[in-house]
Amino acid sequence: MMLAQLVVSGIAAGMLYALVALSMTVVYRATTVVNFGHGDMVAAGAYAVLVFAVGLGMPFAAALVLATVVLFLFGVLLQRVLLQPIIAGPHLSLAMMVLAVGFTLRGAERLEWGNEVINLARPYPRGVFMLGSVVVTMDDLVITGCVLALLLVLFVVFHVTPIGRIIQAVFQTERGAALVGINVRAFHAVMWGTGAALGAIGGVLLALIVPLTPDMGQWVLLQGFAAMTIGGFGSLYGALVGGVLLGMMQNVLGFYVGTVFIDITAYLVIILVLLIRPNGLFGRRSTVRV
Amino acid sequence: MAKLPQAAALAASWRGRRAFWLVPLLLLPVPAWLNEYQQYVINMMLMYVPVAVGFNLVVGNLGLLAFSNVAFFGIGAYTTGVLMLQVGLPWWLTIIPAGLMGAIAGCATSVPALRGVRSFYLAIMTLAFGELMRWIYIRWEPVTGGSMGMAVPAPDLFGWPLITEARKFYVFLALALLVVIATDRLLRTRFGRAFLAIKSNEVAAAAMGIPTDRYIVLCFGWSGFAVGIGGAMYAALVGHLTPVSFDLTELIVEFAMIMVGGLGSLVGSVIGAVVITAAPQVFLDFPGFQELVFGVLIILVLLFLPNGLASLLARLHPGLRDRYHRE
Repeated sequence: MMLAQLVVSGIAAGMLYALVALSMTVVYRATTVVNFGHGDMVAAGAYAVLVFAVGLGMPFAAALVLATVVLFLFGVLLQRVLLQPIIAGPHLSLAMMVLAVGFTLRGAERLEWGNEVINLARPYPRGVFMLGSVVVTMDDLVITGCVLALLLVLFVVFHVTPIGRIIQAVFQTERGAALVGINVRAFHAVMWGTGAALGAIGGVLLALIVPLTPDMGQWVLLQGFAAMTIGGFGSLYGALVGGVLLGMMQNVLGFYVGTVFIDITAYLVIILVLLIRPNGLFGRRSTVRV
Repeated sequence: MAKLPQAAALAASWRGRRAFWLVPLLLLPVPAWLNEYQQYVINMMLMYVPVAVGFNLVVGNLGLLAFSNVAFFGIGAYTTGVLMLQVGLPWWLTIIPAGLMGAIAGCATSVPALRGVRSFYLAIMTLAFGELMRWIYIRWEPVTGGSMGMAVPAPDLFGWPLITEARKFYVFLALALLVVIATDRLLRTRFGRAFLAIKSNEVAAAAMGIPTDRYIVLCFGWSGFAVGIGGAMYAALVGHLTPVSFDLTELIVEFAMIMVGGLGSLVGSVIGAVVITAAPQVFLDFPGFQELVFGVLIILVLLFLPNGLASLLARLHPGLRDRYHRE
């Protein structure tokens, strides 16, 4: 029964990793840039809710919506002001730019809140449900529910609306997409915004179960990367499956092998998967061999 | 026949390069004017020279996005610490082992790169490697002292105790100079040209018969060696090693050095080490302010000065341009 318990609580944590990985995948699929600053954007979303809900005393739901909007605008501005001017340059510069933006966000958070550990109050009562002999907490349900709802929205957007085809077109060839009338610049800006907004929601959900510190972003980034690596870069389903698998693995390894392994499951996963099967479960060919 | 323009540029370049060697000479009497704290900051700059040179070699010259530099740095520092504390070696005998351990870590890091893990994948993997090393420093308590860290005994050079910052300064200056000269020589031979070829187009480089694998291992190995020596200097300078010193904030510092100084430029690495070490002294040192300043600096450099501060030097006088640095 212990295993069932570990798997169930692993799924809730895994859903969070999946959301982080998904928001990174959205940006990656749309712009081919891996967002090294994403962890800090996730943390920024949580801090934004802190400012609106605790600082300005707004209701939690309003704070969440506002934080999502703020991060969306942040993502759009990031693309417009910082990435568009250097988009013709080497691809590496784009990765470094988002990394630097992440540093800046983290620095700003630390400047305001120091290294203080903050707990965000839950907007719903704590509760525990029994499913046979497996304990399911209210946090698990809220997180899993939110992520599944977002997934449904993403699925509809990508598969039912024409946006999915635009994403595919821009990912394959930007010039070609521009030739058939897609406004690639605006599209990129919107996708950066979407990625940041999704990340912000992930950050808020994360802040419900994990204390908030400026260094959270780094940890989040590596969990997201691990989920993406398991699933294969650029695959939305891969991100979901990878996130859930990572969550379960952390719990199972932590229980059966030693709690110290909880911290490093993600690192080990990244290193081993990239060495053994660099494409992950659902990814395309990603390695260069000379 | 008129002198070829390249030859003229080469001659100017040689004159420019000779000017660089004046810098360490001019630095020699510096300790006389500085107090202990100012000297400590200068030593910190010198300590970061090999660290930035090693990092820049892989990212700037070879063009691979590897973030494992802090891991090499930590491995070097802990090698010195462990050898001094547990084995009882004097500091100067641990410099080479620290470099070698860094080099081994560097070669190990190049293995995924050889297996075809590139660009973002390599960046993610090396990031994970760095964090894994930090976890090892925390967990391997009997050897590393865990998260409380370890106190490094007082350093000495052939029995001459480096008790003042001024004494450390001369040793550090010599070490930094050695690493810079060796790297300069490395970059000016076929190795440097091979790195450049791999950076420009790896497939084409391999097609031309350049054994790219060998050069990638070598580049990572030398990078790890230089950074490991920086780690040994760190252990002597700070005297106390804690896992926190080798976290991602440290990566930000080192990354800012090569970005602000100039990617792929040896002079840039030195400039970066000096400027980024000085920055927190000039600005107030609030927690977080450093990250903010470095983040903004990197953004500004990327937007307005893509080749870093070193490119300003080249603009000043064409002879000051790095000969092995081409876009």
